[in-house]
Parts: sequence; C-alpha cells; structure tokens
Amino acid sequence: MKKAAVSLILILAGCALLMAAAAAQEDMVVVDPGPFENPQRPPSTFRHEEHNLAADIWECNVCHHVYDEEGNLLDDESSEDMRCVDCHFLEDTGTQPGLMKAFHLNCKGCHIKEAKGPVMCGECHRWRQPAADGPGAG
Amino acid sequence: MAEPAEEKEKKGLDIGLEKGVSKLTPEKIEQTINDVLDKECGPRFKTYVETCIHCGLCSEACHYYLSHDNDPRFSPVGKVKQTIWEMLRKKGKVNGEFIKRAAEITHTECNLCKRCAMYCPFGIDIAYLMTVVRRIIHKLGCTPQYIQDTAHSHSVHYNQMWVKGDEWPDTLQWQEEEAQAEIPTLRIPLEKEGAEIMYSVIAPEPKFQAQLIYQAAVIMDQAGVDWTMPATVGWDNSDMAMFTGDSELMGRLKRAHFETAARLKVKRIVMGECGHAFRSVYDMGNRWLGWQMPPIPIVHAIEFYAEILRAGKIKVAKKFSRPVTLHDPCNVVRGGGLHEDARYVTRQLCETLVEMHPNREHNYCCCAGGGVINCGPPYKMKRIEGNRVKAEQLFAAKARGAEVLITPCHNCHSGLHDIVHHYGVGLEIKFFGDILYEVMEKPEG
Amino acid sequence: MHSVYSFVTGPMVWVAFGVFVAGCLFRLVVLLSQVSRKEPFIFSYMNLKWSLRSIGHWIVPFATVNWRRHPVLTVVTFVFHICLFLVPIFLLSHIVLVDEAWSISWAALPDGLADALTLTVIACCLFFLVRRIRSPEVKFVTYPSDYVILAIVAAPFVTGFLAYHQWFGYPVMFILHVIAGEIMLIAIPFTRLSHMLFAVFTRAYMGSEFGGVRKAKDW
Repeated sequence: MKKAAVSLILILAGCALLMAAAAAQEDMVVVDPGPFENPQRPPSTFRHEEHNLAADIWECNVCHHVYDEEGNLLDDESSEDMRCVDCHFLEDTGTQPGLMKAFHLNCKGCHIKEAKGPVMCGECHRWRQPAADGPGAG
Repeated sequence: MAEPAEEKEKKGLDIGLEKGVSKLTPEKIEQTINDVLDKECGPRFKTYVETCIHCGLCSEACHYYLSHDNDPRFSPVGKVKQTIWEMLRKKGKVNGEFIKRAAEITHTECNLCKRCAMYCPFGIDIAYLMTVVRRIIHKLGCTPQYIQDTAHSHSVHYNQMWVKGDEWPDTLQWQEEEAQAEIPTLRIPLEKEGAEIMYSVIAPEPKFQAQLIYQAAVIMDQAGVDWTMPATVGWDNSDMAMFTGDSELMGRLKRAHFETAARLKVKRIVMGECGHAFRSVYDMGNRWLGWQMPPIPIVHAIEFYAEILRAGKIKVAKKFSRPVTLHDPCNVVRGGGLHEDARYVTRQLCETLVEMHPNREHNYCCCAGGGVINCGPPYKMKRIEGNRVKAEQLFAAKARGAEVLITPCHNCHSGLHDIVHHYGVGLEIKFFGDILYEVMEKPEG
Repeated sequence: MHSVYSFVTGPMVWVAFGVFVAGCLFRLVVLLSQVSRKEPFIFSYMNLKWSLRSIGHWIVPFATVNWRRHPVLTVVTFVFHICLFLVPIFLLSHIVLVDEAWSISWAALPDGLADALTLTVIACCLFFLVRRIRSPEVKFVTYPSDYVILAIVAAPFVTGFLAYHQWFGYPVMFILHVIAGEIMLIAIPFTRLSHMLFAVFTRAYMGSEFGGVRKAKDW
C-alpha cells in the first residue's frame, strides 16, 4: 500500500511538474499588441509552440530573421532575443515594413506560400477566442 | 355589316387615331419603332434611358400626376415606362392597342412643358423622350385627327389655320382700316424691305383674333417702331408639326419663316404672345435647320414690351388698377427665361401683381400647350381634369386678391380659359397686349 | 479555402478592377464618339460654367426645389452615396491589403466608425427597398432589375459587416464579401449603376441648355 501511495505521489508530482513546464511554454496565446497605439482589431491569435509543431518549424530564424545593412538575409543568424518592434517600427522605414505589415507579410506570406494556416483577417484577429483551438486551424 | 351602336360610340372618338391604328400591321409597328429608336435616336436617348434609376422623383413635377391624386400612371417616368421602356423591352413588337395608348399618353397626357427636367436629379429630358414617342406615332400615321389637321394646313398653306394666300394680306388691311379709325396715320407696313423688325404671329390671330393684330399695330405705331409684316407665306410662326413629330415639315415651315425675314432684310423678328411658336423658332425649328441659335434674332412680345417700356417709347397713361396675377408660360420662361421681363412689364402696366405659387420656372403648366389643346374636343375634359392643380393654384391667387390673369401665350390663354370656366375660378384672362393697349397713352385716348 | 482565397483576392481583383476601369472608359468613349458622330450639336451647347452651375446645385443637399420637397429621401440619398465611397476607400482592412501589395497607404477610418457607416449604408438600402415597395410612383416603374442592382450594391456592405463581426461562418463570409465587391465593380459600367458615370453628363447638358439657351434655372 505504502509503495503504491509513494508512487501515486510521485506520479502526481511529476504531472504537476510537467504541467508547470507546459504552462511555461504556453505563455503566449496572442501576438503581443503592446507596441501598437490604438489597435483596431483584437491581437492575432498565436500559440507559438503549437504553431511550430503543426508547421514543422525547427529553426528560429524562419520567422525571427536578421538582415544585414545591405538588406541581405543572414542565414545563420536569428533574432529571437530581440523584440520585433526593435527593427520594425510602427511605420515603414525605407523598404523595411512597419510592425503591422511585417507581421502580416511574415505570417500571411508564409501561409499563402505553404497554402496552410490562416490568411483572412478574422482568422487571426478573432473577436471571440475559441476555447481550445490551435493556431494551425483554418 | 352594322356594328352595335355602343361599339361605334366607343370607337369614333378620334378618327385619326382609330383609323390609323386599324391600318397597322405588326411588321410595320416593329419596323417603325426600331427605325426611330435605332436610327433616328442617338446616344442622348440611349443615355437618358440607361441612366434613369427609376426613382420616381420626377413625379411631383407633373400637373397631370398631381391633378390625378398622385396616380403613378401620370408621372413623367410612368409615361416613359408605358411607352418607351415597353417598346425597348419588346424590341418594337407591340400591338395596335399599345400604339393607341402610347399616342394618347404622349399627345394628351403630356404637354412637353419640361417641368420634369427640372425635377430629375440627373436632368433627364423626359419631354424629349415623349417627343420620340410622338415621332413614332407620326411615322405610324396614328396622330390624333385634330392636330394632324393643323399639320396638314401647315403643309398646304404654311400656316396652322387653313388661311389662304389672299386672306392674310386682306386681314391685315382690314385691321389697318379698323385701326385708322382710331389713329388715322397708322399703317401696317407690308413687305417693307429693310425694316428693322418683322412682326410675326400665329395663324389663329388672323383667323379669329384679329383684334390682336389691331392692338399690335397700335403699339408698334405709337412706339415709333420701324416694322413690317410679310404678305407672303412665312408670316405664320406657329408649328404643330413640331408637336406631331413631323420634323421634316417643321423644318420646311421654319425655313420659310426665316427666309421670309431674310428676304425682307429685317434685323429682328418680333413675335406675338405665343409660347409654342417661340419654342419652334428659338428651340426646335432653328436647331432642326442646323442653327445653334435662331439665324435672325427672335424677340418675344414680353421682351419687346419690356424693351419699349424701358426705352420710354410707350408711356402708360394710367396703370391697370385691378390686381393681376401672372402665369409663366413654359415655352418662354422655362424655354426662354422671360420671367423677370414679364414681371417688369406687369409692374409697369399694372398697379398690383399678386404672385401665384409656384411661379417663374416652377409654375404649373396650363395643360393646353405641347399640342394637347390642338388634339381637340375628344380630349377637352381630360385636359381640364388633368389640371385641377392649376385651378387650385389660381384659386389661391384669387383668394389673395387677384382679379385678372395675365397669360402671355396663346395656348395658355385658351387652356386657362377652359380651366377657369370649368372650375369656376372667376378670373378674367388677358394678354399683356390687351392691357398695354388699354393703359398706354394714345393720341386721342 | 486557400485556393479560393488566392483566386478571389488575386486574379479576380484584377479582373474586377480591369473590367470596371476598362468598362467605364469604354462606355465613356462610346458615348462621346457617338455624340460626335450622331449628335455633335450637343457639344456646341455644352458650357462649363452652366454645367457646373447645374451640377453644383444638384450635388448640394437641399439646394434644389426637389431636394427640399423630399427631405428624408434627400438626406438618405446623400448619406448613402457619401458612405458608399467613403467606407470602401478608407476602410483599414482594404488599405492594409493595398499596403501589403504595393506599399501604398493612406489615412483610414477607425473600424468602429466604418462599422457604423456600413450599417448606415445598409439602412439606406433598406430605405430604398421599402420606398420601392411602398411608394406607388416608384413601385409603378420598378422592374426586377431594380431590386437586383440594389442587392448588388447592398451585398458588399452586408457581407462586409458580417465578416467584420465574424458572425455566421467566417471564412465563407469573407470570400462572399470579396466576391460581392467584385460583382459590384463589374456591374457598374454595364447596369443602371452607370449613372455613376453618366449622371454628370446628363446634368451638365441640361444645365448648359438651361443656362445658355433657356436662360432659366434647372433646380
């Protein structure tokens, strides 16, 4: 009995740990609307881990890209330690798209190219968040 | 084979229309309609038809519509629907009954007064669409008998009233003699080459309103105007062909009129108080002949009276004392902008002007013009019932004191006479000429 | 859904705008060439001053007798036509799409305002519909095509409104909205919606006639 009780506790504890870890990974549900002044639509639904699993993306710089001064994409660098708005300001700067356009082009551009994932405004900017719906839905 | 009497009565109303329709074949109807709509009509017609958004905003412009308690069949666009749209929709494949109804609509339920053109937000010229229908009716030979008869007279004698060649100078000389009893030195100068003005009238004046020529002669004489009248055809400026859609005949008439003026080398043509004749020489006939504006300047009586009063050529001895109201005829006001001149003349001649409402460009039509009164007795009651709103307008002016109604247009004069009598409005109707003659300073006045 | 999306927001947009622009140009060129061939006299009466005088009166609410006679209709008509252009041109989502495609952008209406104006357009369409059914003088001259063109105009706004709020099957509504807009564009040159092109000419001609020849007001 005792053995059984210990193993139950251990299993429960393990579960709790795993859940805590999972919660840590699930910190992101929508794209951070923080930088936007007076956003007109609800922030884009986006679950980072689920998206990358569903989309089979393993390299960070597929999205978190880095361009050099001349505007060339640097294949072996990534920018996940930066905020998008650090480069993509609210307005376009030269040929560099502003923050909203950068999001749109980055997400939607890929979705159209891959013919997968949401492309219409309301598929990401949802007024009513569905209870358990992955980012890849739609 | 004797027909039942009832049937006969129902038919025989308008022999021109009934007989004309009885001779039609489906092929002739179809071909005639399509000839007119496809070949004679151009982008203007097409654009008008295709731009109309069927909003009905023209309805309240029409006195027929208002007088029939807003019956949509009488709205301008309603009339277009019952004629042009159906012809287009059926590609000309309509029957004789349809043609009969179309002839009645375009000839006796529309005065071509163009009030609706001022109410359409797009400025669609609905009266023009009605003239297209009249053209089709004309080419089908279904024009109402009475107006067709006047057109025949135009064709034979170049005047509207079967006035024969010798009857015209005879009438002028008769009126000259009559007037000489009042002013012995008065002349009606016939065929005076190089005179400044050719005075022109419509044929009903010599036919049965000769006193108007007398009055005009007195006014011309006293104003010291260098004027003349032709002894030949071309003297009559009236034009029923314009209203029957017989454009070729209209062209012949107007050419004769302008060429007569040119032969007499006059500088201007002054015309009597007639509206449709003004439309013919200023708007339609001259354009048919290719003149953007009349080749010889046209001066309507209203304008002419204003001119001689402004210049002091006529002095008013004592203003007309009874309060008057003024009817703005469509053809000279909406067609020639003479409404302010008309008011100037009224104020010069009369002590009190009681405006009727609406007035100026927005005045209600007399319901006689556009050839409607010329369609004759079969349609008289329709014309009177179709203008109840005019009677109401006149009653309102009378309630505010008007006793006399000035109508500077022959058609309006006759039409309003019927309105005033039928509804018992009790206004006396006069031309400006009547009043001017009455109040002007004369030698032995 | 991706292929449908790509089709209606890609080639179909080009087709719709192409047909719209080319169709409008075609109609105008045909009109002007036919006038110069069959009724050239019209040009000799056209006059800029009188045209503008007439157009000026008719594009201002209550500046004409007939506008004043129908105050409700006048307000509805003007509000409707203004919103009809304002909303699609200055809608944020439309501008965003243009910006993504061509990096061209302009000021946008706040979505909340655009939403209210969209409802206004829909309400105006309902007004026109009710008027068509209820007013005898309008009903008498109403053909099925009149309901069709009203529906063509109302559809982009109704679907746009539903798509924006994500009611009733979102992705389908989005696609329907795009298609409805494209149908309207294509319909403009070839239906009575072409009054968008021609009304200015008919008005200008009538204005020129009244100003230059008839010396009278046409309002």
